[in-house]
Amino acid sequence: MKPKVWLKSPKGNVLLILLAFLGIASAASREWDGVKNALIAVASAVAFDAVCCLIERRKRIFLDGAFITGLIVALILSLTSPWYVVAATVAVSILSKHLLAYRKKPLFNPATFGLLLSVPIFHAQQSWWGAFGDLPVWLLPVVLIGGFWVTNRIQKFPQVFSFAVVYLLALFVLASGILPIHAESLRTGGFYDALRPPFINAALFFAMLMLTDPPTSPAKTADQVLFGVIVGAAGSVIYGLFGGLIYLYIGLLAGNVYQALRFKFSKRPTRAARPEPEIQTHRYLS
Amino acid sequence: MAKMKKKWIVLCSAAIGVIYASEYVASNFQAYLPQPRTRVGTDMQASGSLYPIGPTSTEGLLNAGNPIPSSSALPEKNGESPNAAANATPSADAPAKSPGSVNKRYNDGTYTGIGSNRRGSIQVAVTVKRDKITDVEISDFAMHYSESDVVDLPDQVLHKQSSQVDNVSGATYSTQAFEDAVADALAQAKIG
Repeated sequence: MKPKVWLKSPKGNVLLILLAFLGIASAASREWDGVKNALIAVASAVAFDAVCCLIERRKRIFLDGAFITGLIVALILSLTSPWYVVAATVAVSILSKHLLAYRKKPLFNPATFGLLLSVPIFHAQQSWWGAFGDLPVWLLPVVLIGGFWVTNRIQKFPQVFSFAVVYLLALFVLASGILPIHAESLRTGGFYDALRPPFINAALFFAMLMLTDPPTSPAKTADQVLFGVIVGAAGSVIYGLFGGLIYLYIGLLAGNVYQALRFKFSKRPTRAARPEPEIQTHRYLS
Repeated sequence: MAKMKKKWIVLCSAAIGVIYASEYVASNFQAYLPQPRTRVGTDMQASGSLYPIGPTSTEGLLNAGNPIPSSSALPEKNGESPNAAANATPSADAPAKSPGSVNKRYNDGTYTGIGSNRRGSIQVAVTVKRDKITDVEISDFAMHYSESDVVDLPDQVLHKQSSQVDNVSGATYSTQAFEDAVADALAQAKIG
């Protein structure tokens, strides 16, 4: 594919938006450690992915998905993360893509899987600096605009909207104590925090740039809506019960499990095991 | 693929915006409700003993009879999270300038300080005796990170006799909040 054509593809769009976020966040914070982390993450991701593809003896190797995974990891990990934590997180992400796969499609969103495991394994700190979590509130619309652009390009509005509605309503219901769930985190300031930076930045970035990963999310409208509902409900309940910063990842992995089960038990003919053309075209995180 | 019409995209976006705005306003009321972080001081005053204060005490029990006043809700600063809220006050029976202590820098007593950033807040109780920090306890940990990240920091403060501690890798925000909290408490203790 010619570079000009590729840049207009969904993958190209996502890459441009992520690079724009990297540039804006670095320039606004006057902190260039993020660029260094991004270079480490992207180089590691591409190298690990290439090695995995060679081991699997793939005929065609596309490394743009690994490039995007590396960028997402770099934009979320704290700027103070040591280089080996960045590289190791990316390694887990790429390995999950190759090892935890069903019908040649990754079961879990690679970046999400790596970031989730990086907390207990590497003690990684995640600041979502690339979603402008530490910057003035007026930069929040930039996340929205970039996210809308990507969501529109890959046609994932149903799941983004259903996620947003369920996530917001569930937070409110849990915080108000209507349900007999001991959501202590929400009642002690967690609800207040969830609606403000950096948490709202993280939720928007997550919903529109991670949740929408085509290989690990459904394509049909009804499936998208249910997928968004599962992720939103699981994420908000985890946040309410335990607080912390990994609730969005757990929510998405819950959605990925649903997607994998749906895929496994769907009555598809064997030949349909190959990825659908449009999905293949739009996959960008794998 | 699920191609959505522009009309529905606009309507859904507007609906989500309304939900968000409503909850944002509602959450402001929650922010000013008494938080559990205030219970530390209240419990201690009720019991007269400081030992239930938390697991990170460095010297065990503090002197009974030095109750730490309960803190109020955190003040807002430019619409953002408060930073090193100055709600710490000296303990009720902390002596003022003792006679003959011309070069003394700090009043004796136990002082609470709060350090906070966008990732949460940490409240500490700092005990000062004869210009020396004799005890530091994390009385409330409300960060969105693990408390285990900073359990060693009170010992560092005692060792260095300063609020400046080594940055904990992977816990920068918690370290900053802890330093701010100790500095806040010491600012309350400072004479003059």
